[in-house]
Amino acid sequence: MMKGLIKLGITLAAFAAAACVGLAFVNQATEKQIKINADIQLAESLRELFPTADSFDAIITSELEWNNVDIKLGEARVVKAAAESVGIAVMASGPSYGGPATILVGIDIDGKVAGVKILDLKDTPGLGANAASVNYFVDKAKQTTFPDQFKGRAIDDGLKVKQDGGEIDTITASTITSRAITKIIKACGDAATARFIAGGK
Amino acid sequence: MNRYWKIFKQGIINENPLLMLMIGLCSALAVTTNVQNGVGMGLAMTFVLLFSEIIISAFRKVIPSSARMPIFIIIIAAFTTVIDLVMKAYFPALSKSMGVFIPLIVVNCIIMGRVEAYSYKQKVVDCVFDSFGMGLGYTWVLVGIAAFRELLGNGTVAGFPLFEKLGFVGFQPILFFILPPGGFLVFALFISFNIWLKKRMAKSAKAIAAEVAA
Repeated sequence: MMKGLIKLGITLAAFAAAACVGLAFVNQATEKQIKINADIQLAESLRELFPTADSFDAIITSELEWNNVDIKLGEARVVKAAAESVGIAVMASGPSYGGPATILVGIDIDGKVAGVKILDLKDTPGLGANAASVNYFVDKAKQTTFPDQFKGRAIDDGLKVKQDGGEIDTITASTITSRAITKIIKACGDAATARFIAGGK
Repeated sequence: MNRYWKIFKQGIINENPLLMLMIGLCSALAVTTNVQNGVGMGLAMTFVLLFSEIIISAFRKVIPSSARMPIFIIIIAAFTTVIDLVMKAYFPALSKSMGVFIPLIVVNCIIMGRVEAYSYKQKVVDCVFDSFGMGLGYTWVLVGIAAFRELLGNGTVAGFPLFEKLGFVGFQPILFFILPPGGFLVFALFISFNIWLKKRMAKSAKAIAAEVAA
């Protein structure tokens, strides 16, 4: 009985060990490329938010004032153009309808939203996923996409969806997604504003 | 050769994992909102199935039957992680749109079912044909459902605006088809189509046999 158990354990361990070794190799082979992909995506998004900027320097995130427990701060960058700080970019993720959503928010030095980029969203295709679609417009006449409407907005109490008494247009039938994204943007904006008020750039 | 063709053919219609065995439905309904996802998921799943079947069949004599389940899971999980990492590295967009469903291949019943019922008892070569047949059977249904749902629910096929190009400019996408209920409906249509096809094939096989006899 005991002997049989030990034999089973050893066989299982042998298979597990072989699988681990194999995976270690694959991981090593792909790790670099995965990191490069993530960096490329972030760099492209940053450039989209701040087309005129020439450098994006990382901020130590613990320096930012962050009070939100549901929304997790990812990373933050100081955006500089010609050696002058023109704003900051904050990446954060928070719970949405279909899992965590990751959003990159750019905030100008004068405290207004420079732009919003949805990096990762797992919500319902055709509904919540429209938040990241370039073909879905909350304002059809002006061709404003959901993230577009934040551009140039001040970080104030109006930064809430209309259903909650704010000024943000929601995506049809996707109030939860709209609210979740708006909350993440607000959290990023608040952190940026706090930093500007404290004299940081 | 005829024998291998028979094994291969089984998975496509007669024993189609989705339409006849009705396993692995969760991923099939969830990712089929556009054609790219259908193709990607089908290929990823075929890859994992193929290598898991080969390894398990090759080692079937040394895998003790009382510990076979954990060993199967280790092997399947290893190949799933491989495909997950490779997709993340070289097909980032596809990997993103399929999200959690690639890691979930580990618990896909089709793979568990095939390694348990087939490759644990059969020779490696048979397993290769079985996994290709089952993989293709899974993939064609996925792509079919996805094309149907994407066309009606979004007006496109693999991102190509088919209706617009054909001149139906006023086409209003039927959101229903993208949502889960639409998935179930289309899936049911595919099941009935497959049964019809199977019956028809059996009939024509009988007719041929009768002709040969006469």
